[in-house]
Amino acid sequence: MLHTKVIDVSKEKIDLAKAQKFITSSKCGASIYFVGTVRDQNDNKKVTGITYDSHDALVIKSFEEIYKEAETKFKFKNIAVFIEHIKGYVALGDTSIIIAVACKHRAQAYEFSRYIIEEIKKRTPIWKKEHYEDGDSKWLKGNPLIDQNQLK
Amino acid sequence: MKIKLELYGASREFSDKGHLEFNLKVQSSISDLRNEILVFIDKNFKGNVNFKKLVESSKFCSEENNIVNDSYKITRDQKIGIIPPIGGG
Repeated sequence: MLHTKVIDVSKEKIDLAKAQKFITSSKCGASIYFVGTVRDQNDNKKVTGITYDSHDALVIKSFEEIYKEAETKFKFKNIAVFIEHIKGYVALGDTSIIIAVACKHRAQAYEFSRYIIEEIKKRTPIWKKEHYEDGDSKWLKGNPLIDQNQLK
Repeated sequence: MKIKLELYGASREFSDKGHLEFNLKVQSSISDLRNEILVFIDKNFKGNVNFKKLVESSKFCSEENNIVNDSYKITRDQKIGIIPPIGGG
């Protein structure tokens, strides 16, 4: 069971309670919540916020592909996964991503959750523009997108 | 043939409208489009080296939301997304 969404923060808020509601099930004994937030420093510069940009359709496609791959790889039964990522400006300490995973056992939930976030970092088309205390801002460099179809 | 190039990430610095428009010959390839963008950078940003590197390291996405390679032929008016190196959330 999978829920994915890109949240435009100018229109709505990302909400951990929604994740909890989605993954809660009596079939699952373990729930893991990964919450990514904006931290205050990068490359020795004081960060005040980040603007996230997203190719929404490709982001959703990538979330779905990653979920399917994880299902095939781990073969766990009765999993619930909730993935939401924001786009737009978020200030220091604000949430940028929620990955909530519920599985039968805790080891499964940790494994599944870790796989999802690591793959998102590698291949989901999201871009970050950092804003600094001195008023400067910069798009972060990133890595060229790998077309997963070419890897198959 | 009109191509609306949708800008993402650092490529948004190319225009404050969020997109660029190019007129290309029918059956032009992504490689041809990439060259047109480089010409645009030369004309409008004095050949800004960082912008050109960004274009050279970018992928492109079709209107059907598929990543397409340099030999992909564009056969009609359509939106193409430029996908610069990604930050990955």
